[in-house]
Amino acid sequence: MAMTRRRRAMLEKDVTAPEPPVGAAASSEDEEEDEAPEEVTFERARAAAETERRRAGETARRDKELLKEKRRRREELFKEQKKRKLLPENVLEELTSGPQINNNNLSDTTKQGENQDESENKNEGCNRGQDHEGGKQVVRLKGSYMAVRLKDHDLTSQHQKMAKDFVQSHLYGPGTNRTTANQFFSFANKKSPVKKAAVQFVNKSWGTEKKQKAKQFKKRWMSKKMVSSV
Amino acid sequence: MGEFQVHRVRFFAYVPAGIRCVAHSPRSARLALARTDGALEVYNFAANYFQEKGIPGHETRSTEALCWTAGDRLFGAGLGGDISEYDLEKLRVKYSLDGFGGPIWSMAADPSGTQLAVGCEDGSVKLFQVLPDKIQFERSLDRQKGRVMSLSWHPSGTRIAVGSIDLLRVFDVKSGHAIQRILVDRRLQGLYSRECVVWSVAFLSNGTIVSSDSVGKVQFWDSEKGTLLETHPVSSSAVLCLAVSEEEDSIVVGTSEGAVYQFQLLPVKWGSAESKWVRTKPFQHHTHDVRAVAHSATALISGGLDAQLVIRPLMEKVHGKGYDAALRKFTFPHRRLVSCAKKAGLLLFQFPQHLELWRLGATNSAGKDGDILPVSRAPEHLLQLKSKGPEHICCSCISLCGSWIAYSTASRLHLHRVHLENGSVSVKRVSKVPKLLCSAHQLLCSADSTSLFVASDQGAVHVLKLLEPGGCGHLQTLRPNSGSTEAVYLLAASADGDWLAAAGGDWEINVYSLRHFKPHCTVPAYNCAVTALAIHPVTNNLVITHSDQQVFEFSIPDREYTTWSRKVQQHGLHKGWLERDMPITHIAFNPKQPTHILLHDTHMFCILDKSLPLPDDATPLMNQTSLKQLSEKARRGHAHAFKICKKYQGLGQ
Repeated sequence: MAMTRRRRAMLEKDVTAPEPPVGAAASSEDEEEDEAPEEVTFERARAAAETERRRAGETARRDKELLKEKRRRREELFKEQKKRKLLPENVLEELTSGPQINNNNLSDTTKQGENQDESENKNEGCNRGQDHEGGKQVVRLKGSYMAVRLKDHDLTSQHQKMAKDFVQSHLYGPGTNRTTANQFFSFANKKSPVKKAAVQFVNKSWGTEKKQKAKQFKKRWMSKKMVSSV
Repeated sequence: MGEFQVHRVRFFAYVPAGIRCVAHSPRSARLALARTDGALEVYNFAANYFQEKGIPGHETRSTEALCWTAGDRLFGAGLGGDISEYDLEKLRVKYSLDGFGGPIWSMAADPSGTQLAVGCEDGSVKLFQVLPDKIQFERSLDRQKGRVMSLSWHPSGTRIAVGSIDLLRVFDVKSGHAIQRILVDRRLQGLYSRECVVWSVAFLSNGTIVSSDSVGKVQFWDSEKGTLLETHPVSSSAVLCLAVSEEEDSIVVGTSEGAVYQFQLLPVKWGSAESKWVRTKPFQHHTHDVRAVAHSATALISGGLDAQLVIRPLMEKVHGKGYDAALRKFTFPHRRLVSCAKKAGLLLFQFPQHLELWRLGATNSAGKDGDILPVSRAPEHLLQLKSKGPEHICCSCISLCGSWIAYSTASRLHLHRVHLENGSVSVKRVSKVPKLLCSAHQLLCSADSTSLFVASDQGAVHVLKLLEPGGCGHLQTLRPNSGSTEAVYLLAASADGDWLAAAGGDWEINVYSLRHFKPHCTVPAYNCAVTALAIHPVTNNLVITHSDQQVFEFSIPDREYTTWSRKVQQHGLHKGWLERDMPITHIAFNPKQPTHILLHDTHMFCILDKSLPLPDDATPLMNQTSLKQLSEKARRGHAHAFKICKKYQGLGQ
């Protein structure tokens, strides 16, 4: 949109061209020796000026449009984020109907994937009413949710936990030559001249899932047998 | 035919908590001990190392440091960030003050006992002033980077040595600035390793700082110049604690391997003035880390994570054989943890956070002395009662018929009604317990199960009426005439329901008449702690044992000592009896033999027969095994009153 001063000067010159043609011609002829004269008719110059102005207006409009577009996009993004903050509908329904189903367990808040803090603040209000005395962390809902107790996460207990971890790592962590009693005595058994079995050779927690499945199968089989015999 | 059927109970799986810190008060000869579960115990060294006071633990309390200040006041601080004062008369925490520095790692009282310095997680050392009824924050010394793991006052009270991670600093108390900074090297040789934590420091009066760190060395530094004087590599694992004797010529250190070492300041050559610190004696009494040591005038005291308190007297400081010369190991509390419902054959076990009710097994066969009889009905675990809340259970009891169970934590009394009908157990809680009973230090049910005696503060005993369908009401409060302020910790009731004996923290035994609900008499004062009390079902004689192993028998109706008791006092007890190191914790009677008294402590079980002659020092005390080999006539000639059996495996094994 910025017209060059030269151009403007020339336009003005052209507009005022008819009055002192002789003078202009004379001056232009004076300048003729210096540079090549530009022969621009008035019509052409006016058309050029108009197109310039139009183009400038168009760019301005385009810029405004772009800004508007950007702003609109940002607003949409904010709206979407806000929607994402609230838990999906089904979860909220479950939570509000939860206390009637199992009424003992909660002073908990639920935390979901990414947006931990916001959801905790939101749900603290509706769940604070039910207090369980002496209850620890309770996994209440299936899936990717975990229920925690706010009391465990306040500042003093965090500090205390950090301090205890410090002591634990310095006394029992890596770098200290410590082993469990089980391992210690097992090594002694294996290194002795008469080799003996390791201490606590059978770990009761091995294959718990398989054992559970077997128990279920047995129950079902027994009931089937009862039904068929009766 | 054997005289008794002995039930060997191996299903009481009580695991004591490890010892975290100890504090010795030389003035009052007492040792305060804090365990990892927050419980506090006070041992009285003068009363033959009897555990005279105990404050039950708390789930969130983790004490890191204890100290005694002027006036025998006890303060503790821990990872919760609070400094608490313990009320040793009411056996609870008096108040807690937040240090506002994060978890507190160490605390020490200045030599005059009027100021407390507290080392916090944020690197600051805060000074508190000890006022008559509270403590007040005075100021904070310059904050440093890194947590303050340990601190120690100079005996003049003008400087404090502080040990943190990789560093030692000396602060001037008046200005609050650090006047010396010493770097503790991480490893004596070898590659760079993890950071070196200075677990404890001590400041000697000649300006020497003693430090023990996680690499396993004990180093002596000059605080004026900041230079290293001596290094002693003591172990390959951390050296966790150290204590200096009052004369500053002996230091005791405890390591992670369970070993305790003594360092002594010995002259370099005989008669020369120059002296050096030399590691003299190693002791291995613990199986796990030793986290606390203390140095008394005559003994080394160490407490570890294996829950044992070991008091090892130093032979050069002790004269002759006697109480002071014995090595003592305390693992279990000197309190009653098992209650028996005699008529129902039930046992109630008290754990820190729950109670267990078991029915004893039975046998159908009979046999001779020493036979093991087969069990026809196995012991049965009937009930597990969990206590709610973070506080630990202080005391518990079960009535003789087995239908009432009562237990108390530091803040509440709980009462339950138990119904046992051919195989099924049901428990119902009694909800309306009278409000004035905030906490009980001892509980006892009367012989006919109609009243519950609750021992409480200021020498008072509350009598509660147990109503049949499941309620209770407050009947009376019995208070002693002397107006003592200490809590009652032992109770004994007579079988006919007329008398109640109560022993308090000031070692005074009061006998109350339950018919008129007023004090009947007071047993003449004896200058030693009472460890057990019991009233004979037939003669109403009160049998008392003290922590110096004296046994007394006091007749309640006559208000005086019995003739047998006077005879024992005149004759004196056997030397072997007096030299036992564990106190008697329980007294019982044999209903078939009125002259028998059954006593036991942690290691032995004894039947005291009043009709037999008393032994003198020449005859061996433990003569049961030798008597068995003699004929009947010879046995009668040699038998004496004390029949001791050590064959049973006490809780310690």
